[in-house]
Amino acid sequence: MADKHDNDSKLVGLLAQFDDPDSLVSACNEARLAGYKSMDAYSPFPVHGIDPAIGIQRSLLPFLVFVVGFGACFVGLGMQYYTNAAEWSPIFPGYAFKISGKPIFSLPANIPVTFEVIVLSSAFATFLGMWGLNKLPMFSNPLHRISRFKRATNDKFFLMIETKDEKFNRSETESQLNQWGAVAIEECRQDLTDNQLPSWVRLVGLLGVFLLMLPPVMIFRNMGMTNRQPRLHVVPDMDWQHKEKTQVLSPVMENGEYLFADERAMRQPVDGAIPRGRLEIDSEMYRGLKKDYRPKSAASSIKTNAQFVSASLEDKKEAPAAEAEDVSMWLTKFPEGITVDQDFVERGQQRFNIYCSACHGYDANGNGLVNQKAMALGANGQAQWTAAKSLHDATVKDDSKNPLGRIFDTITNGRNTMGPYGSQIPVEDRWAIVAYVKALQQTGIKPLTAVVDEDAGGEDDKKSDADGGSDAEDKTS
Amino acid sequence: MHETRPAKITSDVVTLNDGHLKAMPLLLIVGAIGLGLSLLLTGFNFERFSFIYLVNFCFLLSISLGCLFFVIISHLTRAGWNVTVRRLAELFAMCTLPLGLLFLLILVPVLFGSSSVYSWNAPGWSAHSVEQAAVIADLPAEVRPPIEQEKGGYLNSGFFSVRAIAYFLIWGAMGWFFLKTSLAQDESGDVGLTKRMQALSAPILILFAVTIVFSSFDFEMSLSPLWFSTMFPVYFFAGAFMSGLITITLTAMWLQKSGRVTDEITTEHYHDLGKLTFGFIVFWGYIAFSQFMLIWYANIPEETFWYRYRMEGGWGVLSLLLVAGHLFIPFLAIMGRTARRSQKFLAGAGIFLLVMHWVDHYWLIMPEMNQYTNSFTFNPLIDIPCAVGMIAIYIAIFCYVARNRPLVPLKDPRLGEALNHAVH
Repeated sequence: MADKHDNDSKLVGLLAQFDDPDSLVSACNEARLAGYKSMDAYSPFPVHGIDPAIGIQRSLLPFLVFVVGFGACFVGLGMQYYTNAAEWSPIFPGYAFKISGKPIFSLPANIPVTFEVIVLSSAFATFLGMWGLNKLPMFSNPLHRISRFKRATNDKFFLMIETKDEKFNRSETESQLNQWGAVAIEECRQDLTDNQLPSWVRLVGLLGVFLLMLPPVMIFRNMGMTNRQPRLHVVPDMDWQHKEKTQVLSPVMENGEYLFADERAMRQPVDGAIPRGRLEIDSEMYRGLKKDYRPKSAASSIKTNAQFVSASLEDKKEAPAAEAEDVSMWLTKFPEGITVDQDFVERGQQRFNIYCSACHGYDANGNGLVNQKAMALGANGQAQWTAAKSLHDATVKDDSKNPLGRIFDTITNGRNTMGPYGSQIPVEDRWAIVAYVKALQQTGIKPLTAVVDEDAGGEDDKKSDADGGSDAEDKTS
Repeated sequence: MHETRPAKITSDVVTLNDGHLKAMPLLLIVGAIGLGLSLLLTGFNFERFSFIYLVNFCFLLSISLGCLFFVIISHLTRAGWNVTVRRLAELFAMCTLPLGLLFLLILVPVLFGSSSVYSWNAPGWSAHSVEQAAVIADLPAEVRPPIEQEKGGYLNSGFFSVRAIAYFLIWGAMGWFFLKTSLAQDESGDVGLTKRMQALSAPILILFAVTIVFSSFDFEMSLSPLWFSTMFPVYFFAGAFMSGLITITLTAMWLQKSGRVTDEITTEHYHDLGKLTFGFIVFWGYIAFSQFMLIWYANIPEETFWYRYRMEGGWGVLSLLLVAGHLFIPFLAIMGRTARRSQKFLAGAGIFLLVMHWVDHYWLIMPEMNQYTNSFTFNPLIDIPCAVGMIAIYIAIFCYVARNRPLVPLKDPRLGEALNHAVH
């Protein structure tokens, strides 16, 4: 590099050499007491007492690590909460995915990850903090140009007093160092040309940045265009897994027979298996049956859970026997846990309007839009349709013939030609619909058309006949 | 400026004085009154008294075992820094043998067939109700529940007593070996004695591990004989070593306050003891949580019931108190260097942690008393006199063991290193 003229280099300090650690420590003490602040000691091994001797304050690092670790505790917990349980976030909402009936968020399960996040963050904080506090990376240090200094890693001890110290004075400092027992003193000069990067570094840097941009650019380009090539399979055994999917044939065995007699790959649940959270032991709530009701035959389609497991084997073999329906088995009041109030009935109205009104009509007269259209088609012989029932029918309204539990059962399992809605409507909502239906019946609401007719001049009788018509339908099914 | 101190004892007084020895009868009287008062306030309910007695016994035993481990590990690692506090650990470790005598109060009833503390000592312990237990007890031995028959091979009064006596003899022998050898070195200054202790510390550590594992199974875990956790001994050990370190720290401070070994134990030693204590606070929390989480996550009823007992009612409050007081509060309190180098602060934290360690053993043992009803038992009128009495007896034992023996090793080859110990 450039020649070391005074013009090209700058004095950064005086480097004093000592032959043993004790004289280094004492010189450091002297220097500190003489008022020097910008100085540093170098030794091949950690010397006891050198920190207070050169007036080094306690490091900020432990506090830094503590703050980062403490913060990482909340970041770790928050990250898990966000990915597992947060659905409220307006942007990037999470998805609370229930697995095997386990809680969405449960603290004990999240402690290990939180702990690891704390450890990792603290390690990074320690490492990067140490670099930062030491002003690393430092690519060039003028001390390394002094050949004598190389022995700082071997067997000599050095004290450097920097020129930036207020008390630094070239000649006075040198004499002081001599006085404090320095074996040798040397000027430490910084080559000013050190600060200039070689021209090729910039070029290589630019080239590197350009090369680094290539992959993302190529990825973005490919994302926006079609490609005739087959997809690239980076991890083939993830893309083609050795597994049987649902609804496929069971793997064929060597002798040409299927592995399982039913020829399916997917196994059925064991008979009597109850999904987690679906025990539904409360017959009143889930089936609308009285608590003490027990079906007369095991083959009955109506079961309490207590009998479910034992009966399920026979259940599949025969269709439910046409057991005479015993009305007394149905619940006549709302089950425990259901509170009927304004909100509940309004909820029922809302659900009724969504699920039931299509056929039964908003006023429950059995004249929903589907019904009207189907009846019209049926009249032309284009469709087979049994008219939807008016819920204001005497038989439907009669609590002794059609108690609450039976209405609930009708919604759940369907009746006659009406299909089951149990899989679509949650249990509480079904009870809410029951409540709303009873409310509708009790208000004795007049058919909407009749109300309209009344307004127009009153033709009640005609409408009553229509009600009678749907009564007849009940007997057909 | 760093000065090298000469490797010799400079304190004027290095033993307990007559005052301490004279206090021994007084301490024993306090102990007797405490225990008597506790028994009286239970209404001579010997079962209730035995349980709180066992809590205090295990608390003190764990301290002694922690100190014994401190001695073993010091020799195994050839530690130099802690030579000046090692004698205190040796003295506490020697207390295990007298503690064995205190265990007789539990052991003798067991030998006479009492099942009030250790329910496995009577048939029917695997039952879930008193009635069921009575039914099982009436059955002939060969048709009792298999678990009772199988575990009965290990959990029976005869084998239990043999094991208990063996533990105390082994610990006593270990304590005696280290104390005797170290005292002999005080006279002769023979370096060979240190080498002998170092050589034997490895096999002794193995034996220590085996005994602490099985003793914690026997003394504490078998209170709930249906429950099992292979993590339990580690949990016991973590608390034991932590409390041992604190006890050494507090004893050193107490001795220095009364003018003993004033020169030998410095802030540097307290700082390092504080660091180790801090480490074992975290270790305790780590083990406690590991044990809990594995059981919680596996969710097997045979294991979870033990924690369920401790999550309900007053026990739940106690569990949370432990999480806060045995882990988080001391963790944050003695994390800082300044805190650890302040003797007053360290002493306060140490006393707080010892109380928490006592609560820990209370939490481990007491819920097993009412195994069918699981009612909260804390009653300060019964529990505190018993604790005060037992601790007084323990201090008396320590004073007796320490007698006129030097409280620092006088001629340990690493004394110089310890005296010049400095950390940054």
